[in-house]
Amino acid sequence: MTLIRLIKASKIYQQGKIEVPALKEIDLEFEAGEFSTIFGPSGSGKTTMLNLIGALDKPTSGTVHFNGENIVESDKNQLAMLRRNHIGFIFQSYNLIPVLTAYENVEFALKIARGNEGKKTKEKVMNILARVGLDGLESRKPNELSGGQKQRVAIARALVKEPKLVLADEPTANLDSKTATGVLETMLEMNRDLETTFIFSTHDPRVMDYALRLIEIRDGRISKDERRD
Amino acid sequence: MYLIRIAWRNLWRRKRRTFVTAGVLALAVFIFLLMDSLMGGMSDISYNNIIDIESAHLEVGLEEYYDSEGEVNRLQQTFQVDNSLINNIEEIAGYQSQVQVLDFQANINSGRDQYPLQVRAIEPNKYRQVFKTDEYITEGQFINPGDGGLVIGDRLSRLLEIGVGDYFTLLFRDTNGSFNTIDGEIQGIISTPHPDMNLGVVLYDINQARQWTGVEEDAATRIFVRTDDRDRALGVLPDLTERLEAGLTARSWEDSAEMMLAMESVGQIENYVILGLILLIGAVGIVNVIILSALERVEEIGMMKAMGLKENEIVRVFTFEAAGIGLIGSSLGCLIGGIVNFFFTRYGVAMETIITEDTTYGIPILGRLYGYWNPSAFLFIFIFGIIVAIIASIPPAYWAARKDPIKAIYHR
Repeated sequence: MTLIRLIKASKIYQQGKIEVPALKEIDLEFEAGEFSTIFGPSGSGKTTMLNLIGALDKPTSGTVHFNGENIVESDKNQLAMLRRNHIGFIFQSYNLIPVLTAYENVEFALKIARGNEGKKTKEKVMNILARVGLDGLESRKPNELSGGQKQRVAIARALVKEPKLVLADEPTANLDSKTATGVLETMLEMNRDLETTFIFSTHDPRVMDYALRLIEIRDGRISKDERRD
Repeated sequence: MYLIRIAWRNLWRRKRRTFVTAGVLALAVFIFLLMDSLMGGMSDISYNNIIDIESAHLEVGLEEYYDSEGEVNRLQQTFQVDNSLINNIEEIAGYQSQVQVLDFQANINSGRDQYPLQVRAIEPNKYRQVFKTDEYITEGQFINPGDGGLVIGDRLSRLLEIGVGDYFTLLFRDTNGSFNTIDGEIQGIISTPHPDMNLGVVLYDINQARQWTGVEEDAATRIFVRTDDRDRALGVLPDLTERLEAGLTARSWEDSAEMMLAMESVGQIENYVILGLILLIGAVGIVNVIILSALERVEEIGMMKAMGLKENEIVRVFTFEAAGIGLIGSSLGCLIGGIVNFFFTRYGVAMETIITEDTTYGIPILGRLYGYWNPSAFLFIFIFGIIVAIIASIPPAYWAARKDPIKAIYHR
């Protein structure tokens, strides 16, 4: 089943009087449950594509469909609701809320998406934290966690609401090799168990090794799209 | 609930900044409460002094008595007090007591100096039931029925250098307009908290005065009435007016306190102007705090948007923070205001530093000025402080919430 479809999606940034094309008429589809990686050199358009897929931005021309619905026509609030209910984000710099504990960061994402479900909420948060290996660290604030632990909290936060799609932009860039492998294993496990679609944007070869589909992007165009078993 | 939790914790991220901003608000709240207390206290004491020493709750007199200005012979503005008039007055709601007064202009002569004043000739026993002047006797004694002595204020006593036992002469025009005199001894000195009464008014027995002035036996220029409550008195004024015969009219203590009421209104305006200015500074502080927090938390705002928070929900986080600052500021201001007011209401401030006998500014208070508890002012300013903080935070909160999520997330 197709989860994401980009049809002739272009994105042009205006820098003063100069137009900078970031994406050029991209046609691309992602099936539900894929574990894909978009890679390419810096400035090739990876992050821009992730932003379009994640409903954080709209294309200058063309359309983006999520679950069959053209989200280009949606207003700000509809896009916010789409992100809230169906999309999880993981960023290179974690972007955890520093005043909340690890538990609360994850709980926050779940509560805004699903509301307060009482005991069920607590169970879900504790389960996901356990799955990403953060048992016993629930009450720590982000500044009391290592880089790898923070990224695990970010993963837990993205996954706790069981979204259809998780977008990860350079999720391992700030992590050492061992931690990066651990984080990737966790995400792969989630992909298998929960059938969550993962799309990475990276130029980290470690991430590419894990990907089941590799999409290369150069100068705003897709130059390679291959699947692996 | 979650947004409130985030907002509350964010408040403590920059404790000093939060407390400085809340401190400005607290100062505004405190100054407002202090001014309100002193103004309220000044009004309250003034009204009580006017009622207890000058004009009672209500008074009855001829219309021409109140309409006439300048040099008028008050002895020509008397009316007959009969039983039906007294009964009518006694029937008003909250009635407690009444006293007939014959007042007229005279010059007091001490033998060396002369001073113009008003003679208030009274029924001594009834006067004690209506006024509290007798409580302020500092030398000699108050007037007893039939006495021929005079009670004067301490300021007049100092001015003319006369005291108890000294002789006086009152020079006045009688009912026919002819000059006449009353002689006698000073029998008492009063020192009231109402400065006007200590200089410009002397007390004398009404029956003696009737004989000397030539007015009829039951003639009076005014009847003063005490009721059980000053606010009630204002309510029964129309009823009293209706009960009076043609030519007579009734007035309340408010008519005697016109000057004070006007000062109170001006004082209130002044109070609100000061409040507005200080709250404006507080509001600028809050705008500043919200902008600074938004700039510090750009990535967080971006992440919240990525997580699906709507703009108005992000605005709420910031307005909750501002409400928190408002809550801290208002609470601190009310607490400090309450403590200071406790001392003001208990110990008061010496009015001598602002008001002396020579410079009363028309304020009928001498001695100490006490604060006044006004719970509605506390409630008003507490809520107002929070509302100002919330309103001040809305524009910068929208500015923060409208940040492009992509730029915000990749801010670094």
